[in-house]
Amino acid sequence: MKKRTKKGRVLFLALILFSFACKAPPVPPEVAEAETLEQTLRGAGGFVYAEENYARFQAGLKAARENLAREKAKWGWLRNYGPLQSEFRDLLKKGSDLLREARERKAAASRNVAEQILPLKTRIDRLKNMTHYFNESGTVRKNLSQAEIKLAEADLLIRKEQFEPVREKLQNCSLYIEEAEAATFSILSRYLDKGELEKWNRWADETIAESQKKGIVAIVVNKLERRLVLYNKGAAAASYEIGLGKYGLSDKLYSGDDATPEGRYLVIRKIPSSPFYKALLINYPNEEDKRAFAAAKKNGLVPSEVGIGGSIEIHGGGKDSLTKGCVGLEDKDMDEVYRLAGTGTPVTIVGALSIENSILAEIKKLRKND
Amino acid sequence: MKGLTKNLVLVLAIALVLMGCKQPTQQINDAQAAIDEVKKGGADKYAVAEFKKLEDAMKAANDEIATQDKKFFKKFGTAKDMLAKVKTDAEALKAALPGMIEAAKNAAIQAQTEAKAAIDEAKALLEKAPTGKGTKKDIDALKADLAGAETAFAEIQTALDGQDYIGAADKAKAVKEKAVAVGDQVKAAIEKTKKK
Repeated sequence: MKKRTKKGRVLFLALILFSFACKAPPVPPEVAEAETLEQTLRGAGGFVYAEENYARFQAGLKAARENLAREKAKWGWLRNYGPLQSEFRDLLKKGSDLLREARERKAAASRNVAEQILPLKTRIDRLKNMTHYFNESGTVRKNLSQAEIKLAEADLLIRKEQFEPVREKLQNCSLYIEEAEAATFSILSRYLDKGELEKWNRWADETIAESQKKGIVAIVVNKLERRLVLYNKGAAAASYEIGLGKYGLSDKLYSGDDATPEGRYLVIRKIPSSPFYKALLINYPNEEDKRAFAAAKKNGLVPSEVGIGGSIEIHGGGKDSLTKGCVGLEDKDMDEVYRLAGTGTPVTIVGALSIENSILAEIKKLRKND
Repeated sequence: MKGLTKNLVLVLAIALVLMGCKQPTQQINDAQAAIDEVKKGGADKYAVAEFKKLEDAMKAANDEIATQDKKFFKKFGTAKDMLAKVKTDAEALKAALPGMIEAAKNAAIQAQTEAKAAIDEAKALLEKAPTGKGTKKDIDALKADLAGAETAFAEIQTALDGQDYIGAADKAKAVKEKAVAVGDQVKAAIEKTKKK
């Protein structure tokens, strides 16, 4: 009996050892590699940059895990990991492709963002520089301010490597810049108008010709160049820097618009002591101004209670472009102009005489952005 | 009888050893499911560091499993403990998430308050800014800049109302930055006129 029990035990042990010896095949290394790859994909933003393929990979991985669990549930020597190994190898290949795709798209998104931001900053800076040159109602600067805020928001997202939502911020930034450009263009575009330039040149030529013919002093004011040129007997005798109305680059239409009028005028009074040093009062509004005002009023472009205005002068007090529409000079320059000009001196105010101007070059660049 | 008992014990012992050799597939799935759940709740937005820790812990557990898989005598005990911790931590994070979202909301509101304060300060400075020769034009431009910041400020509330607290905080930071910049330029203009 003892012998039989001992034999049985030995046989039993041998059976167990045999089972051990015929151990279950090892789980293919591809299984662990796939798990690692999944984590790497997550970190690389696979679900952001390759959403569809990432979802397919996940589904494939889930199915493979289920197959693995089923295979492992079998008795050791009945397990066959062959097909599973192929399945995981296939997953690894797809996952590697997906990882490459996600990394490439992320890098491309980053490059794309950088490429978009620089031109936007350039446009903002260009427009800001232009606003130093001319005054505007605030529309341009307000829009630029909002554009810069959008860029700042985009910058915060870029630091967090969130490139997708950056696109929307940059689009909004661009819209604000376009508003600013449109507002700028509406003020300055007429300076590129061929017809306007021809008219202004004709006025200036006729004034100079009159100065020569009559042997008198005449004044030509070039608003875009911010220059007052004094002619004596048809020859340019002196040139001075000037200031204009707050919205001086616009053609004056009504009282309170702070624009500097354009047209052919005459000095009608010399004022030795005005609130702005010496002054030469001109006969704004002339007949053409009155016609333009009437038409604008009829078309509802002028508030009903507002008049055409007047009291436009060439005066001293400085050239800081903040008059109500007058032409401002430094006091020392005004001394000379006041001395040489008299009642009846022709004063012609034009927008521009040439398109060769840095501001107009900037305007042309705006048009190219359309 | 004695022999049978001994054999049974032997079988049990071997079975236990063999059981320890099985990969903890269920625990892996449970841990992953817990992570996915907490991500759905917004953990990747409102608890970025904690969520990353969870992901890293999951990776570490998977690495441990991979290491054990290569051995003859596999021991998945440590991996199971790691996975259990990941699951527990994910569940804890899920429970803590509402508080974190509330904190993000409060931070956004605080940022909104700071942006408003910066705008108000810039406004006050603009009101007492010199408007004489050489500065009025710049002051007018800065007023327009601040008007832009004020318009953008209104968007912060829209983001808050839409429960986009991170977006609202970012907006508020950008607006504050702009308002502070305007204020600094006004101060510089004031200083300039004092020196004259």
